[in-house]
Amino acid sequence: MNLMGNIILNVAIAFLVGSVLFGLQRKIMARIQMRPGPPIIQHLLHTFKFFIKESAFPKTAAMPFYIAITAMLCVIWVAAVIVGPVTEGSLLLFFAIYAIHKIVEHNAGSSSGSPYGKLSCVRAVYSAAAEVPLFAVLIIIYLKTGTMIISNIVTFQSQHGALLLSIPLAALMFFVLILSKSPYSPFAITKGKDIVSGYETEHFGLLRGYLMFSESIAWYMLLWIFLTVFIGGLNPVGYLIGMVIITAFVALINAVTPILNPNHSVMTQVTLAFIGIAGSIITLLY
Amino acid sequence: MDISILGGQMLGIIPLGDIVLYFTPFNLFMFAAALAFTTLIAISKTESQVEAEFGTLKNREVKVDKSEFKIRRFLAIVCGLATAGAMVTGDLFDFTLFVALIAIVNIGIVAAVKEVDVLDSAFQYGLIAMIATLPLFGGAAIILASAGTISLLQLLQIPNSTMILYGSLLLFIGVAGETGVAPFFATKAEMFRTPGSPFLLIIHLSSLLVIVRTIEILLILNKPF
Repeated sequence: MNLMGNIILNVAIAFLVGSVLFGLQRKIMARIQMRPGPPIIQHLLHTFKFFIKESAFPKTAAMPFYIAITAMLCVIWVAAVIVGPVTEGSLLLFFAIYAIHKIVEHNAGSSSGSPYGKLSCVRAVYSAAAEVPLFAVLIIIYLKTGTMIISNIVTFQSQHGALLLSIPLAALMFFVLILSKSPYSPFAITKGKDIVSGYETEHFGLLRGYLMFSESIAWYMLLWIFLTVFIGGLNPVGYLIGMVIITAFVALINAVTPILNPNHSVMTQVTLAFIGIAGSIITLLY
Repeated sequence: MDISILGGQMLGIIPLGDIVLYFTPFNLFMFAAALAFTTLIAISKTESQVEAEFGTLKNREVKVDKSEFKIRRFLAIVCGLATAGAMVTGDLFDFTLFVALIAIVNIGIVAAVKEVDVLDSAFQYGLIAMIATLPLFGGAAIILASAGTISLLQLLQIPNSTMILYGSLLLFIGVAGETGVAPFFATKAEMFRTPGSPFLLIIHLSSLLVIVRTIEILLILNKPF
């Protein structure tokens, strides 16, 4: 398959699987809370719906920044698919993509002029201080495997076994990062219901469609990275089973925990990051 | 050590005398992202913050006035260009200069706002950034003194030493202070409450991209293998 075809196919898979996994998460949460819950394809339907709904733009918005920021979010997560499943490139590059995701999250909120968006923006800045150290556990992977290139990490695991077993604390840290990006998680302070929909509050119609499209790809990519760098190269069915298991586990946690307040959320994540990094370094040394 | 194990295959270098710019997919992506956001900032208006007034039924609207807008936009563009430069430079001293410039213009972007709380936080950030210049340039100087070069492509081939590790730690502390990341974060977060979304973006963008690039540089300086 040529490169462009490969990219389009992988982006389509990432979007569809990511959307359905979001729906699955809501369904499992609902069943745990003894509610019927929405259909599993609800998130996917919502995304399509927003693409055909009328778009409205707040008079207070910073134009064209307010519109472009949603396109930026799409671009960086499509780039993540290229770095990940398509080329199996550098984890460091994926780290950079995640850093830019935090910036986009921050400015999608502030660009509308809405106080809800602004609060979400400030929370995004706080949460970046916690999530970026969590993402830095990728360096532990580098120290263990001697490479940042995903394909080489997969090869390393085929020879030495899954990294999940040799650096479990690093895997736990990455799981906390995944948890923090899931809707309704205890760490989802940027989209807490006390601020309506957080940074998405003032993005309507097509723009919301872009945001939801990007979030689905982001969810798929985070799960893909976790499975690839901590378990190894799986076949498509293996990836799907792994993603469903992680999503179900995340749903279980989200269903039984409240959203923490911003300070508690950040301090919990920072503490877990510190334990993970220090513990993993000690594990590597001995 | 081969640089391709960090940011991917080397795509090319641009030698400008002693200063060499190099491009891997990692550096190129961050360079392109910094330039894309800078372009966006250059052409964007700022938002208006509308909030309900306490005790009345009126709204309170906070806008960025024209003179403030002009100077903040100029500083934001300088910051974006400095960030882009810091992403591709292959020279450690050049990197520290870019980081120092980023801190100076970040202070300026916020200090242009005429609000007491925001000015207070800009002042505190300024103090930290000023103090952080010592470990920033000191770290680079120690690395130069112990390795005999500040070219990152040359430093790749130089074996680890205690002094390079010490210089790296100082460099990291310097970058953390200049970019105002945790644990110096408390002063900076307050600055994000002010209007002027596109300009605040570049403060956040420059900090995070510089931190990501610093990780690459620290791994070049201290080779674990």
